[in-house]
Amino acid sequence: MAATIFQLAPLIPVLPFVAFLVALTAGRWLPEKGAYVGILAAAGSLGLSVWTLLAVNASASSLYVANELYTWAAVEGLSLTFGVLLDPLSTFMLVLVALIATLVFVFSLGYMNHDEHHRERGGLPRYYASVALFTASMLAFVLASNLLMAFIFFELVGLCSYLLIGFWLTDRAPASAAKKAFLVTRFGDYFFLVGVVGVLATFGTAAFAEGGFPQLASDALATSSPVGPDGPLQWLPGGIDPQAWFTILGLLVLGGAIGKSAQFPLHTWLPDAMEGPTPISALIHAATMVAAGVYLLARMFGFYAELPQALAVIAFIGGFTALFAATMGVVKDDIKQVLAYSTISQYGYMMLGLGVGGYVAATFHLMTHAYFKALLFLGAGAIIVATHHQDMWALGGLREHLPVTRWTFLAGALSLAGIAPFSGFWSKEEVLFDALIVGLEHPLLLGAYAMALVAVLLTGFYTFRMYFLTFHGEPRSDAASDPDPVGWAIKLPLVVLGTLAVVAGFVNMKPVDYYVGADLLYLERWLDGVAGALSVTHYHELLSYSEAAISPLGPTLLTLGLALIGAYMAHLLYNVPDPDRYFDGTGVVDSLLKHNYYQDELQVWLATGLTGSIARVSNLFDQRAIDGLVDGTASAGLIGGDRVRNVQFGVLPGYVALLVGSVVVLILVAGLYGGWWM
Amino acid sequence: MVDVIIEALIGATLLASVLVLLVPDRVAGVFATLLSLVPLGGSLWMFGQYTGTGNVLLGGTRGFESTLSGTTLVPMGPYEVQWIAAVDGIALPLIALSTILTTLSIVSAFNVIEERQSQFYGLVLFLEAALIGVFSTLDFFVWFIFWEAVLLPMYLLIGVWGGERRKYAAMKFLIYTNVASFVLFIGFLALIVGLDVESFSLIAITEALQAGQLSGYVGLDARTLLVVAYWALFVGFAVKVPIVPVHTWLPDAHVEAPAPVSVLLAGVLLKMGTYALLRYNVTMFPNLTQQFAEVIAVIAVVSVIYGALLALAQEDLKRVVAYSSVSSMGYVILGLVALTVYGIGGGTFQMLSHGLISGLLFMAVGVIYGATHTRMIEDLSGLATRMPIAVGVFFAGAFGYMGLPLMSGFAAEVFVFIGAFDAPALAGSPVFTALGMFGIVIVAGYLLWAMQRAFFGPYELADGVDTPESAGATDIVPLFVLLGLIVLLGVAPEIAFGMIEDATRPIVEVAGGDPR
Repeated sequence: MAATIFQLAPLIPVLPFVAFLVALTAGRWLPEKGAYVGILAAAGSLGLSVWTLLAVNASASSLYVANELYTWAAVEGLSLTFGVLLDPLSTFMLVLVALIATLVFVFSLGYMNHDEHHRERGGLPRYYASVALFTASMLAFVLASNLLMAFIFFELVGLCSYLLIGFWLTDRAPASAAKKAFLVTRFGDYFFLVGVVGVLATFGTAAFAEGGFPQLASDALATSSPVGPDGPLQWLPGGIDPQAWFTILGLLVLGGAIGKSAQFPLHTWLPDAMEGPTPISALIHAATMVAAGVYLLARMFGFYAELPQALAVIAFIGGFTALFAATMGVVKDDIKQVLAYSTISQYGYMMLGLGVGGYVAATFHLMTHAYFKALLFLGAGAIIVATHHQDMWALGGLREHLPVTRWTFLAGALSLAGIAPFSGFWSKEEVLFDALIVGLEHPLLLGAYAMALVAVLLTGFYTFRMYFLTFHGEPRSDAASDPDPVGWAIKLPLVVLGTLAVVAGFVNMKPVDYYVGADLLYLERWLDGVAGALSVTHYHELLSYSEAAISPLGPTLLTLGLALIGAYMAHLLYNVPDPDRYFDGTGVVDSLLKHNYYQDELQVWLATGLTGSIARVSNLFDQRAIDGLVDGTASAGLIGGDRVRNVQFGVLPGYVALLVGSVVVLILVAGLYGGWWM
Repeated sequence: MVDVIIEALIGATLLASVLVLLVPDRVAGVFATLLSLVPLGGSLWMFGQYTGTGNVLLGGTRGFESTLSGTTLVPMGPYEVQWIAAVDGIALPLIALSTILTTLSIVSAFNVIEERQSQFYGLVLFLEAALIGVFSTLDFFVWFIFWEAVLLPMYLLIGVWGGERRKYAAMKFLIYTNVASFVLFIGFLALIVGLDVESFSLIAITEALQAGQLSGYVGLDARTLLVVAYWALFVGFAVKVPIVPVHTWLPDAHVEAPAPVSVLLAGVLLKMGTYALLRYNVTMFPNLTQQFAEVIAVIAVVSVIYGALLALAQEDLKRVVAYSSVSSMGYVILGLVALTVYGIGGGTFQMLSHGLISGLLFMAVGVIYGATHTRMIEDLSGLATRMPIAVGVFFAGAFGYMGLPLMSGFAAEVFVFIGAFDAPALAGSPVFTALGMFGIVIVAGYLLWAMQRAFFGPYELADGVDTPESAGATDIVPLFVLLGLIVLLGVAPEIAFGMIEDATRPIVEVAGGDPR
């Protein structure tokens, strides 16, 4: 039984892939232009994913690895293969991705098909085909049993985000945003690919499990002669210390995660990506593109666990990004922009969690964030369908007209702000607590914790600023005072996600578990259930962090208090009939924040100013110097200048004669040289 | 027929070329297409049937060698010019590529070539025959005649049917590549004189070189002679590839050539250079290749990055694609010089892959040019809504060029990177590889930027640009065939990589490198 479903696991990504082909080729003739095909395929994947998860739970080792299902390149000594790795982490992620994808498909029916404004712009088969391919790529990425396969589908995820961010292709801004998303993430993927190639060269395998590279790295660090016929490694560059080389490899792979998970300094693509249709934003932020980076690090956590320098870099990038993005989220006027910066910030928490060894906490936050962020984006989508506005200064007072959207959005906002007992509170608290106990023993990491802690206050503030501006006060536009009703296809996903945003946190209530002792850490037990090298216990053995033994009560109350203060400040400033703008972009700090610290300007300058100039100078050099030399040589030589023009007699036989003649001359020369007539 | 299939292939293609010259212009295209199916079918049959192993120069199977092979054609002083025709896992994919691209470019020319059709198609078929000869003959003299015979039709195809500056471009192409041919010819003959061989058979010459038979003469010691011959060959082939800094004939030739000719120029002609580098420099002189590995790797990385930067600076869509070839060919050189199975095999796979992808892009540019009569990016905007299929295929091909996984370009590049990263023959291999790999970022930059401006945004055209009409079936079908092949080779690279790897492994073993 279990064996059968494990063999069927490749079908999980194949189903949406088939939906992609169907929607692409036949979408225009299908009812709702391919929406139903997508819903069916995603729901089918969800069913299979749940079944797989249950089977993993039921199996003794909770692990199924088939790394060589398909041989992509067979070379003796180093074959490149595709396979599946089913364990608690991957099946948990499969269910998450398939669930969000299914809900996004359903929501899309309401957003793209039922909304006149969107429907008449056309391109729906292309839309559903792209979403299906997106889902398929992400599911295949999650299933990947080795790093190369993960890279392959990681890239395809990038392609799909390009297709969907640039979906409205007759506008200028989406095409530009799509290009930026692809280029910035590809810049990160460049490092990732160097890392993949380095891993293959070093270990001779890129497999995650069962003699995979994390295990080999462990072995290499434990032996004095790691390279050689008996050693775990195939190759080390120029006598470098294995620990240092693994850290370099780890940081290279991290480049890909920073790009996709929109961490500083490669976060700039994500706010621009709001040009895509809103359901896509939900998909990208919650379950696919952005989640891929963090999942990648979690997938190969056994490798990072032994590399404290790499972990410290991850923790600092995470902590800094959490704070940095939150400051920008405070001043945004567009509801989707606020959500975009909140995503960057929240993924910073996950990075921080991983960096301090909080593998469970980071995975937990990945899950709760997926639910509440998908919820918030779909809520924003509902508002756009109802009012055709996304500038919060043109909204306001929507709580009267859109009760379902309002209550579910509120659940999402409470979760995002980290207010108990909503799901985001539990996971964010666990990340912060893990960071604190490690930080107390390793003061350097305390800095990362501090930044993330300050961000809690800001998160509470910007989240409720958004909520109050949208749903409370007086309507600030005609559309907001009389919004269109939204249909079942929009309400259903909101209700499902709203429920999850409330309850999902209960799977790992660490502070409660600490005091009650009732064994409430279901998620941790689930992730630890796998035998051997992929278990939480094993990761903890590998980690070199020591942890302070403190009770979680104080830190928990501190973070909760900060979140409440932030939310309360937002209430004071914005929960009034006619709120002030406050951030009008005149002051120094204000304009710095409004312009996102001039990060975009810097990167645009790097891409077009600097690289573009180098390219133009190269081109000039190529035409004037190199080609000039060629032309100069030609005209100075025997067959140059006027004589070249003279032989252009434009008659075919003439050319033939010339060419045959020159071949004959060559043969004669060769013959003489070779002693033909001697 | 099957016993002499290589000879039959070349003969049938030559015959087809003559026959097409004799038919009236209006039926020449269809006639040429039908006749080109003969070499196409033959080469695909060979590809499917090939079971040989090893490298043809290093004692491997001489695939499809006929009883005619080994016949002396003419005595030349103390040497014999022999007819030796056989293939291995390196040559066969390139022959298949040549026949596939020839047929598709003939079909794609239906709406492009509007005068002197029978001469055009006749020359294209003549070109094909010469290309098959280049990839299958193993006597230096015969090989060189085929090598030169490629120039004639290409010169005429650019010079007669090209754009405004066609005469300049064609003449530049001819002189440049002819001078290069001369250099390699003299260099190789100088080598042969110092060897104790009785024919120009590349197999015999390789054996003699491996046995260390070379003796010096006229005051040159054997070692100097080897090095001079090596670099003479290298320069001669580098022009054809082309490698920076001997690449400037390429953009001129491409811009002036009609689209179907560009397809063949980029798709197959450039591969003559890399194929010859592999057959001669890498296979015959593995030790020298290893000795000069760092120098050549620098040239390769410069080609990749510099070529990509040049592509970034272009305003003409066709020039963008033309310069990107310089960049892509740099990966082939990097792979070859790594002297590993993945490196050389990946480089060879890249020849095949680049042939298909650049062929696709040139063809798609041709369709867009045919509809709008402009190739300037700034003249175009929002073309995607007006020409969805042509733009869609260009788009897919562009992602192939960027190395999107599960398309052939990714497989080729990843093989090269894997092969080069820990190449024992190349000091500093991780640094060279990592630098070269940055090309994958720049290529995404220039292609996405060009497509953003030309294809997306509101539909509007500059003054004087024709309103595009939808492209016809003969424009579209070849594009889809190429796209299908690109995806097929990306998903299942083993189709070609299996035989390529098999033919490259002996080279690595001779070089004494890491078999992986």
